[in-house]
Amino acid sequence: MTAFVYETYHLGLRTFRRFLRVPSNFISIIFFPLIQLLLFSQLYKDIVQLPGFGEQNSYLAYLAPGQIVFTAFMAVAWSGYGMLVEYRNGYLDKLRSSPIGRWSILAAEMVPLFFQAAVMAGIVLIVSLLLGASIETGVGGFLFILLISGAFGIAFSGASFIPALLTKSEQATGTFSLLLFPLMFMSTAFVPQVMMPGWMQLVNRFNPITHVIEAIRSLMTTGYDWSAMGKALISIAIMGAILQSLTLWAFRRLAS
Amino acid sequence: MSQTDGRAVIEVEGLVKIFGSDTRAVDGITFSVAPGELFGFLGPNGAGKTTTIRILATLLNATSGSARVAGFDVTAEPQRVRKALGLAMQTPTLDAFSTGRETLDLSGRLHRMPGPERKKRADELLELMNLTSVAKKLTGTYSGGMKRRLDLAAALMHRPKALILDEPTEGLDPQSRTALWEELERISGLGTTMLLTTHYMEEADRLCSRLAIIDNGKIVVEGSPEALKRSMGADTVVLQLDGTGGDDRDGQVKQIQERLGDLVAADSVKSHPAGVSLAVTNSSTAIPELLRRLDGDGVHITGLQMTQPSLDDVFLKHTGRRIRAEAADQPIMMGW
Repeated sequence: MTAFVYETYHLGLRTFRRFLRVPSNFISIIFFPLIQLLLFSQLYKDIVQLPGFGEQNSYLAYLAPGQIVFTAFMAVAWSGYGMLVEYRNGYLDKLRSSPIGRWSILAAEMVPLFFQAAVMAGIVLIVSLLLGASIETGVGGFLFILLISGAFGIAFSGASFIPALLTKSEQATGTFSLLLFPLMFMSTAFVPQVMMPGWMQLVNRFNPITHVIEAIRSLMTTGYDWSAMGKALISIAIMGAILQSLTLWAFRRLAS
Repeated sequence: MSQTDGRAVIEVEGLVKIFGSDTRAVDGITFSVAPGELFGFLGPNGAGKTTTIRILATLLNATSGSARVAGFDVTAEPQRVRKALGLAMQTPTLDAFSTGRETLDLSGRLHRMPGPERKKRADELLELMNLTSVAKKLTGTYSGGMKRRLDLAAALMHRPKALILDEPTEGLDPQSRTALWEELERISGLGTTMLLTTHYMEEADRLCSRLAIIDNGKIVVEGSPEALKRSMGADTVVLQLDGTGGDDRDGQVKQIQERLGDLVAADSVKSHPAGVSLAVTNSSTAIPELLRRLDGDGVHITGLQMTQPSLDDVFLKHTGRRIRAEAADQPIMMGW
């Protein structure tokens, strides 16, 4: 166990450096969410007057939670790439021929994603606050948002690891990530569930992204809503359990 | 051979690896490498060298046979094999976003080297590999030769009992290659047991104390480069002759045959564009005698050229083909 922690920590630092030392990583993650936050909050400014938005009178404040989660989504959407590149160039083999545990190698790819997603989401959160959004729950809520974003990131990263490990193709991995974008767009990131067609409301009942957004929205606009938080954490746990056990299986298949 | 504990560092016996249903990449290979030895695998691409190395490095399971590194079986005790092993693969496997020092430090950490020793060893290797000035730069900015040297340094961090190098100079320009040969000679001189694969004959010839020529998954012949070349028999000597006799080459051939008598086989003396060629079994002792006998009227030697059999000739003799620098045997990525 101590060996696992030691190896994961030091290999994980390397993975994190690999991320930090490419400045374009930051831009590619926050650009899209920030653009949506800035443009859509202006473009659809008056949409909040429609019934369904309730007492919310700032579309920017409504939009912010969704863009925070979208940032965490973007932060891990291509996470399988790194491992694929290192599978291809032999670095993975080099690690496999070192006297370390197999699972340390995988954990060192995943654990940094928690921080990657949390920090990136935090940046977009801060920008939202500067633009006029607020956090009802204060500093505690701020930390909760980072925690939920990070947890969502690490759980959702399996959606990139699985195609990467199974197809061993960068193109396929990228394409698969694009296929997941509708999950984001169909969530309650842009409009409340009551304004959606019936079938979409049904989909959203099982869309973990919606539950995560709603938990963050409550922290930002209404206060601690433990039922919303519970739903978010349970959907993160279920999504993580399914995706990451498949990742473990695919990794074992690749590395055996 | 200095076998301190009387036991080979690398022992491979009857190793077989079958891919799919009938591709015998490794077909019953047996060899051993004694402590301090620099053993080479010479063969064309696709001969089974890399597959053997991958089995030794615990990256691939053998179909049958056994392989031991530092006394540990690769299948039964892979973790102990990994501890004993330093590995550098065909292309340097470095993290482009780590610096040279970070690369060495991580390598030391994975082998659980304590902090001060790690630092000292990294300093030492950076110096040895002439990388001290770029230690703080990202490896992605390194030249091909620098990457090779750092990769080698990373493999040497934990003072491995056996260093395994797959095509260590593949893709390097001639200058970097010669420089790396010098490094490898130095490392070998420090007593590190090494196994390397190559398809460059000069490399095998220069570096290896013993080598095995491998083709189609089998070892066809094994021995020191000198012994292998000597087994080919005679050296070829070309006597460059004065132009005045050019119109009567046959006469000169005859004359030389008569004068050399028992020294060389008469039928090996042949006309050659530059003069006359002949085969000599042991050129270093035979040549002075040969010159003494030819010194005199009629034959004016203006130059002498001696060619020893090369490892390529050895390869040709045992496989019926020449080693060519074939295209790398990487499969093309297909699908998706």
